Amino acid sequence: MTLQPNVSAPGSDPMTSARDVAVEVIGLSKNYGAVRALASVDLKIAAGEYFVLLGPSGGGKTTLLRLLGGFIRPSAGTVLLHGHDVSALPPNRRPTSMVFQSYALFPHMSVARNVGYGLKLQNMPKAEAKDRIAAMLELVGLTGYDARMPHELSGGQQQRVQLARSLVLERDVLLLDEPLAALDAKLRKDMCLELKHIQEKVGITFVHVTHNQEEAMTVADRLAIIAEGELIEAGTARDVYERPIKRFTADFVGERAIFDGTVASAEKTGVQLDLGFGTIAVKAPAEASAGAKASVSIRSELLELLPAEGKAPAGFETLEATYRESVYLGLTISHVVSLPDGSEIAVRDIAGAGPAKLPEAGAPVRIGWKAEDASLHLS
Amino acid sequence: MDEQYGSKLTHRLKWAYTLLLVATLMLPSCYVIYISFNEHGFGAAKYDFTFDWYKVIFTDKLLLNALGWTLRLAVLTTLIVVPFGLIAAKFYKTTRHKVLTVAVFLSPLFVPGDILGSALLVFFKNLSQMFEAFSDWLGNEWFYGWFDLGFFSALVGLIIYALPYVFIVILITMARYRDQQTEAARACGANAWQAFWHVEFPQIRAGIFSACAFTVILTFNEYIRTSLLKGGFDTFTSVLVSQMLNEGMSESSYAMSSLVTYIAVAVIGSIIVITLIRTESLEREARAKAQPAMAS
Repeated sequence: MTLQPNVSAPGSDPMTSARDVAVEVIGLSKNYGAVRALASVDLKIAAGEYFVLLGPSGGGKTTLLRLLGGFIRPSAGTVLLHGHDVSALPPNRRPTSMVFQSYALFPHMSVARNVGYGLKLQNMPKAEAKDRIAAMLELVGLTGYDARMPHELSGGQQQRVQLARSLVLERDVLLLDEPLAALDAKLRKDMCLELKHIQEKVGITFVHVTHNQEEAMTVADRLAIIAEGELIEAGTARDVYERPIKRFTADFVGERAIFDGTVASAEKTGVQLDLGFGTIAVKAPAEASAGAKASVSIRSELLELLPAEGKAPAGFETLEATYRESVYLGLTISHVVSLPDGSEIAVRDIAGAGPAKLPEAGAPVRIGWKAEDASLHLS
Repeated sequence: MDEQYGSKLTHRLKWAYTLLLVATLMLPSCYVIYISFNEHGFGAAKYDFTFDWYKVIFTDKLLLNALGWTLRLAVLTTLIVVPFGLIAAKFYKTTRHKVLTVAVFLSPLFVPGDILGSALLVFFKNLSQMFEAFSDWLGNEWFYGWFDLGFFSALVGLIIYALPYVFIVILITMARYRDQQTEAARACGANAWQAFWHVEFPQIRAGIFSACAFTVILTFNEYIRTSLLKGGFDTFTSVLVSQMLNEGMSESSYAMSSLVTYIAVAVIGSIIVITLIRTESLEREARAKAQPAMAS
């Protein structure tokens, strides 16, 4: 599959045109011999924005972050930070700081010395540095921990120290490389919100790499999907979740039923998609022509399980299916149905809000959705 | 022991084996020390305790002179080979060709000492001749004696000999070091040297100091390469060996050997004891603080 980037043209992005651009990359690529880690990425991140690079492992998001931080040299392209070309500068000469996934605290230094390391390098007077360290430890909720050694802290506390060590430098851009990946699920959730609140307090640009969608949705003002070394799509978390433009995004973000087919007919208001075992309508203006390959996706929570017989609700598109099983997931129940082509999709209900009596396994059913809830993907 | 399933007999046998091994390794040295305190020397039926042979050491000019050269060689070899080993170990961590790198740096280990010594001897002789011929061609004597056998050639032989050991010792210590810490230091504003000195060095210090101690001991220990390459001066080991071959060991030689053993044991022992004390103290501190830290 060839993935085409879909980002706004320079200057036309509402997020970046409204504010100063803190980070801009132009045609940024990185190759390791014959292996392409990142392929000609263009991206703008506004000052003060919480921006997330989201994607599957090995997709190139950490490579992009490390290129921004100056830890690796680009094979081609330019990195601009607040309009200045920093492509050739090492990390210590860039206006960035970084929080690493784990193990990056200096184990032979106390918490206070870790946080104050950058200030010491700046030859800041001791009294001033002490005040700054105390303020940062208060910001991250670690007042009173200054004398502890890193091995005496829990994983969450260690990441807070890393955050304080980066924020105390008062750099313009903070890079976070999977900062919560080593934490347990509960701690990760709490830390997510805390990160977001801290970013709002300090007001600098955060660029956060993660493969965790919930984490990305929680913190991001905007996010970019990165996969196979390419920037697939960028937008607000809500746009990317609710109206993905690319098929890859639809498949990667959230849980969606995806139908691949051929455009049977295309009009200004929508298209008819031939799936081979049925035809469905999509109310989406698209530059599709008859005969073109296309996909339609619908979020699993917007799908409904309908009886095999009877009239579908007005404005609904339906497809015949066979009921397979249901899986209780706590908040929701996932109903698995198979389509005439053999593929399986999930229909999600809030637990207790679905049909009182579930169909038997193997029973014929229909799945339906409002035509306007479907998204059309031409690539 | 009681809480494990292993048998007591096996446990005792393992201890007995370990003690036997240590005794086998150390007994010859202990015997030399024993003789060094005998007024009547090696092979005497009578044993009278004395420090006299240690006093004689400081009057034996040949031995003292040889010891001086050996110390100079040891210091210079350490100063050169340890940074080399450190750079090699750092290179190993970053290169993608790890097998090749290890093969290159460890290759001197696989060449017998006499072969390597002879090869270097031929190399230096040829090099010396080439430079002399070049000087003759220039019509002067500027390059005469540059590569004659002597201190420099002995030093090169020792560097080649010690480098693989130093490389391995430092690499083992560096294996526990995470490069993310260097990157974190760079992100805090440190340049490459500051990141090394402030963050990496304190964590690999034990390996570097061990490599220094190891190099000094190797220098004292080395005989074949140094004898072939040293030219006109004597080293401590070459004097000991030639004395033993020509006239047998003198009583002061035993005392000198014992003195070197004391120094080696003191240096290595101190490193081990300090490391153990430091590790235990850190663990005790961690145990004391970890509970409230985790609870909060």
